Amino acid sequence: MEIVVCIKPVPDAETRLRANPAGTALDGEGVKWALAGYDESAVEQALLLKEANPGSRVRAVSFGPAPRTEEVLRAALALGADGATFLEHPAEVVPDPLLAARAVAAHLGRATWDLVLVGKQAGDDEAGLFGGALAELVDAPSFGGVMALTYDASARRFTFRRSVEGGAEAAEVPGRAVLALQQAWNDPRTAKLPNILKSRRATIDKVAWATTAGALGPLGTPTTQSVGFRLPAPRSGAKMIDYRTPEEAAEKLVRLLQEEAKVFP
Amino acid sequence: MTARVLVIGEIRDGHLLASSLEAVGAARACAGPSDRLEGLLVGPAAAAASPAFAAAGLASVACVADAALERPTPWAWSRAIVAAATAAGAELVILAGTAAGRDVAGRVAARWEAAAVTGVTAIGRAPGGRLRLSRPVFGGRATQEVEVAAPRAVLAVRPHAFPAPAPTASAAPATELPGGTGPEGDGRILGFEHVEGGAGPDLGDAAVVVSGGRGVRAADNFSLIEELARSLGAAVGASRAVTDAGWRPVSYQVGQTGKSVTPQLYVAVGISGAIQHLVGMVSSRVIVAINSDAQAPIFRVADYGIVGDLFAIVPALTREVRRVRGIA
Ligand SMILES: Cc1cc2nc3c(=O)[nH]c(=O)nc-3n(C[C@H](O)[C@H](O)[C@H](O)COP(=O)(O)OP(=O)(O)OC[C@H]3O[C@@H](n4cnc5c(N)ncnc54)[C@H](O)[C@@H]3O)c2cc1C
Repeated sequence: MEIVVCIKPVPDAETRLRANPAGTALDGEGVKWALAGYDESAVEQALLLKEANPGSRVRAVSFGPAPRTEEVLRAALALGADGATFLEHPAEVVPDPLLAARAVAAHLGRATWDLVLVGKQAGDDEAGLFGGALAELVDAPSFGGVMALTYDASARRFTFRRSVEGGAEAAEVPGRAVLALQQAWNDPRTAKLPNILKSRRATIDKVAWATTAGALGPLGTPTTQSVGFRLPAPRSGAKMIDYRTPEEAAEKLVRLLQEEAKVFP
Repeated sequence: MTARVLVIGEIRDGHLLASSLEAVGAARACAGPSDRLEGLLVGPAAAAASPAFAAAGLASVACVADAALERPTPWAWSRAIVAAATAAGAELVILAGTAAGRDVAGRVAARWEAAAVTGVTAIGRAPGGRLRLSRPVFGGRATQEVEVAAPRAVLAVRPHAFPAPAPTASAAPATELPGGTGPEGDGRILGFEHVEGGAGPDLGDAAVVVSGGRGVRAADNFSLIEELARSLGAAVGASRAVTDAGWRPVSYQVGQTGKSVTPQLYVAVGISGAIQHLVGMVSSRVIVAINSDAQAPIFRVADYGIVGDLFAIVPALTREVRRVRGIA
């Protein structure tokens, strides 16, 4: 089975967010980049499927600016991916997830694959649009919120559960599908040092932006534009409730929620 | 000029979701007086649900009564949506940002060659007339403003961001659209199961969330959190310390590797406030923290704090909430 896993770099969770000088987007200066959380799950899931289905191959694909995009691809190689494709984009901030989906679709259209795994959303823009858009563009079925994914090789079918409001659905889909992962493994594998060293020397297939832009034509223009990036005013700190007994604390809190915060249901 | 807006309703177990009414509220927030708002419902309950949907302020509701669309796959639903948007001559499609709504938004945008923006919390127009949207990013640690640079757009609106309009007496016609069953091979949804403890509202969608952390100390004690949640009609969440310990399943986890929630009220009990937890809940409107350590970082993001032993405070709070809400 040929598995493609689409990943992207996002600012590390501890990053102190600030706007760029124009105030239109995150300032990338000095940011430490890491593999997006759900994408890490997608890589883990791809490797688990590969291990359960001998003869399978995992290829990591990422669209974005150098050098951070290549770095997350190397991270995927160090974790166990067999190959990596870097779809270069010139801008510091990738303008919209639909453009990313088009770029990856233009590339995947020429490749053979059975499954594309993506994270259900990335921790920076939290759009959650990429997987569905990609699936539509390559004319494949898609599901989001996917957990507990298994492959039935004789029937060429994937079965899984998907998280929906209030519970989970059981579902199945035949091969050549795009699945967006919800599952969070709290203990995904970590790369071993020799593999990290090996990944530094591995070849990454690179597709120049000019090639992608040529394939996309007018669809290579972004459809949205980030025009503002605001940080909330820091909360002024909690109003601490004085009390002598737990009952008094409870009464005071409920009153504040009713009368001051006006959120009491 | 009349703009046409198509609002997509979502039906679960025969009932229209409250978030679909909020989507109508969002449509009304950005529509001018001459704009025309239409609705789309799919599945066998479409016609029965259409009066409630229309009463939120729609001029008409198109129904696709195809039984195969009861729990539509993203493939089949996106086809029904694009067909209806084309039939209505819409330039804007608005969905509720539920799991299913967000799943289908990207497909619809790609198929309809439209822009797409999810997690929308405010809708306006930029001076040149372009749609301008606000959306939380980075787990609510920042807000992004986005402008649409395409003639068409798909918007998924964040739960609780827009009020559901008060119902009006509506004589909006329900029209029937032909079914759009996907071909064999688009996958099948085989069944649905409620999550254990899922009797209350869903975490991602709830107006109130009560979460417990390591301070709760043992799986059995988690019932204290659940009783408080029940008294408030809240969903139950947990920190990763709780899910790692196996006291509750990972589906309860709030934070970087769990769910992002944006309720009106978030109550954090025995949770220290690690950054990986905070990114999943800081954009809640009001945050209450109950913790025995006055220095716990959770108090820095909370609006109201009680320093104390949760084993004393939480039962007293549950009793007080039940008393005030008249629950026996
Ligand atoms: C890559 C990564 C991803 C992560 N993702 C997540 C995530 O998605 N969600 C998440 O929550 N965490 C996540 N974490 C873990 C996070 O760093 C913290 O370890 C975790 O949130 C701690 O949970 P806690 O607050 O329940 O426990 P602790 O930090 O141990 O805090 C327990 C709190 O309970 C209080 N307490 C103890 N007894 C009582 C009592 N009797 N009454 C009142 N208060 C009491 C203590 O004062 C303390 O503040 C992640 C970590 C990493 C490295």
